Formats: sequence, structure tokens, C-alpha cells
Amino acid sequence: MRTYTLTRGRTKPRHLLGLETVLDAGSGRPGPGQAVECEEILALCREHRRSVTELAGRLRRPVTAVKILVSDLLDADALVVSVTDAYTASDADADERPTTHLLAALSVGLKRKWPDAVAYPKAG
Amino acid sequence: MPSPTPRPDDSTVALRSPSRPQAGAPTVLKIVIAGGFGAGKTTAVGAVSEITPLSTEEYLTEASADVDSLAGIEAKQTTTVAFDFGRLSLPDAPVPLELFLFGTPGQDRFVDLWYDLSRGAVGAVVLVDTRRLESSFTPVSFFEDIGLPFVVAINQFDGAHRYHPEQVRTALELPTSAPVVICDARDPNHVAGVLLTLVGHAVKSASAGPARPAATTTLQDA
Repeated sequence: MRTYTLTRGRTKPRHLLGLETVLDAGSGRPGPGQAVECEEILALCREHRRSVTELAGRLRRPVTAVKILVSDLLDADALVVSVTDAYTASDADADERPTTHLLAALSVGLKRKWPDAVAYPKAG
Repeated sequence: MPSPTPRPDDSTVALRSPSRPQAGAPTVLKIVIAGGFGAGKTTAVGAVSEITPLSTEEYLTEASADVDSLAGIEAKQTTTVAFDFGRLSLPDAPVPLELFLFGTPGQDRFVDLWYDLSRGAVGAVVLVDTRRLESSFTPVSFFEDIGLPFVVAINQFDGAHRYHPEQVRTALELPTSAPVVICDARDPNHVAGVLLTLVGHAVKSASAGPARPAATTTLQDA
């Protein structure tokens, strides 16, 4: 099926979705006449929350097309956006960067996962 | 019994933002891995990802080259760009975290994608194949221009000439602050080490004050 047919001619998603926006299954049901891909998206999100990029990769469809289908599912409450934003810092001048607290947590998490990670003490 | 009210010095308090999600949902962080064709981006993502790296496609609109543009008509072309996606969870971190890795091609016509990927990212790894050093110039200039912390990781290919990191630093005209490391992109411990180096560098950059991007620089000159 061509992408154009999949999205029924639409070229822009109705919701503002990022490449890393994460989606969870919601309580609603998709409307009638949805593409088979919508069921696939729901099945994937019931299993594990998924990012827009991951859904597009698994469906082998372009990101924009998947965003359009995800928008339909959001409107039907069949999907919900999982709030995972690390950058909603109250500091408006924060440049959207993760806080140093989160960076420190990431460092600890990586070291715990890979205790044998090759360290680069002289880096910098 | 400890008081149920969090104390002000409890480190979790500072991390709780008003839009805090459903309890226990890991916070997502992302890192961009950029490099030229064949530099080992997919390999590096796959070394630490919990899922097989996914190749994802997106459309990009680009202005076509001047040579075939018609006077008065804004000629645009849609191209497809493929980039890699991988993820890993860090449940043992002090705050539950999920890390997204995006592997992106190094050509300057993909700059729109890089902007999307860089927004809110921890930083970037520029993966370098010393046999094709020139393909690293564009990503390096881009991350410098937008002020995103980055490290340069030399993927040591079997049989390739071994350059000293300082030679690569000189060739890429890197600031002394940008770490240059050598890695084997196939080895999870190496890739995790590169990520740790990047996180350390990002912490340093953050405490040095937010880098102000040099907004006027164009990538055409890169």
C-alpha cells in the first residue's frame, strides 16, 4: 500500500509529536475503517510503551505517516502520550537540556549497567 | 519512622516536575550518534541497545540545487532519510531512566533532522572512521554551532591506520574542551564508555553555563 493511501491523502499529523514522543495504550477504541497499521500500533503499545520512531521503524513506514495514524488514535483515546519529558524545567532559560541531576543519574545508571565500561580518564 | 513528607534536601524532590508522569514511568533521555556512511553508527547503537536497531525513514524537504531551479519558482525536492533507533532502560539509576539512541547520517542535507534529534538531547557522539575523516566535518560544525555537547569517538577499524586522538583533534579543528576517544563500536563496554565520557562532558558544559549557539554560522561553509 502506498503511504498516501495509508494516510488517506493526509500529509500532516494533527498532533504535535516528536521523534521521541512516547505512546501508551489508552482505554478508547479506534474508530471504524482504520488502517490495519492502527491495530499494529495499538498491539505494540499494549506490549510496551513505544516512541514514534520505534513505531515507524517496526511498521516500516515513514515517521510522518505514523504520526498521522497516531494522531487518529490519540483522538479516539486509544493511545495516550506518556509524559516522559525531562526538559520541562521551570527555568525558561534552561536551553531544553536535561538537568545536571538527570545527567548524574544517567552516569550512575550506565556505570551500574556496564561496570566494565572502558573509562576515559584523560578525556577532555 | 521517617516522615512521609519529602525533606527539602531529598534529592528526588528536585527531580519532580509539575508535569511528572504516572508514578514509576522512566524519564526518557536521548543521545545522538552521528557519523558518515559506514562509520559504525548502527553497530554502536546495536552494541548497547536492548532492541535490534531499527531503521526508520522520514521524508525531508530540501531546496534543490541552483543549477536546475527555474527562475521565480521555489524548487523543492522530497528525499527520504533513514536513521537508526535503539533504546535501553536503566532501572538501577537513582531515577528510573530510559535512554534513546538515534544514529544519523552525516550529510549536511539532513540538518533538519539533526535539529529535531538534538532538541533536548544529552549530547552527541560523532563517530569517526579515520579513512573518511572528511565526513565528520559537517556534524562537528553543526553540534558546535548549536552548542550541543559532543564527543568524537574514533571507531578503530581492523587494518586501518592508527591515528593518535590528538592528530584527529587537529585535523577536525576541535576545541580542546571536546573529548576525543578511541573505541571499538562492536564492544558494549567501549560504547558505554563513550556514552559515559559524553555524559561527563555534558555535566561539565552545563556547569560552565549554557553555551550560546553562534546562530549566524551557515553549514554550507562546513
